[in-house]
Amino acid sequence: MTHVDPATGPATEARTRRREPATILRAGALALAGIGVAATAFELASERHWNDLDQLIPWAALVVLLGAIGAVLVPRAAALTLSRVLAAIVLAASLYGIVDHTVANHDAGALDGRYSETWDDLPAAQQWWYAATKTVGPAPTLAPGVLGQGALLVLLAGVGRRNRAPSRHRS
Amino acid sequence: MTPTPHRIALAVSGAALALALAGCSGGGSEAPASSSATSTPASTSATSAGSATSASAAPTGGPKVSANNASEDELAQRFEQAGIPNAEKWADEVVEYRPYPADDPNFNALREELAKYNPGPGVVDQIVAVLQP
Repeated sequence: MTHVDPATGPATEARTRRREPATILRAGALALAGIGVAATAFELASERHWNDLDQLIPWAALVVLLGAIGAVLVPRAAALTLSRVLAAIVLAASLYGIVDHTVANHDAGALDGRYSETWDDLPAAQQWWYAATKTVGPAPTLAPGVLGQGALLVLLAGVGRRNRAPSRHRS
Repeated sequence: MTPTPHRIALAVSGAALALALAGCSGGGSEAPASSSATSTPASTSATSAGSATSASAAPTGGPKVSANNASEDELAQRFEQAGIPNAEKWADEVVEYRPYPADDPNFNALREELAKYNPGPGVVDQIVAVLQP
């Protein structure tokens, strides 16, 4: 049995903390969020997703998500709260993006050669189903969801975090 | 008597089946619609019959408009004159993907973008035929 010398102090404590499952999972969640940011930025650039103001929203959401990732790394309660607020904003942007893509597809329904003559006569439910499933229109409906996934990973990374900042009031 | 979870499962399955049938019923309702589409306006079938012919025929009634500088209303008006269906929506899309390079008179970039909308045969040719950079 290995005897841990208590006199080793903060260094040992830090190493031990790094090996805790919660710490590893937290790091993994943040790494996945970071990979999501990079991959989404690449995909948005590939799609030239900057034709109007609406298409700049996911770019802004990526910046906010990076901020949330950075904030959750800071061992302070205020930073943790900030990361959660920023993640919530990204989650809202993600949901808005999904709705916006669906609406864009719906608006493009009449342009599809298969439905140009009949689109207006289709039942509304069928029109929206076609829009949501990208049967019509160019926009990938759930693509904005990757932002929401990143936000949820940041929220998960903050679960169970403690304020590890040294307290001035300890004796 | 506690078949509640079973009833819930049946209700969810029923809802899912209803949604699936709603999606599939589009195929059934399309059949008469597509037959009416073939009998409808000659302009549509004429344009699909020979895209090159219709494209060259379209602009004889008017000048080309600038894809980069014309207003959306001007584009829509020209598209209507050329017999392009849903002229306003197509004008909106042409405006969205600006600017277009001056050295691309065939509007290859625009063609690529408009292809995502799965337009009918010859529609993109009709649009490009009335545009200039």
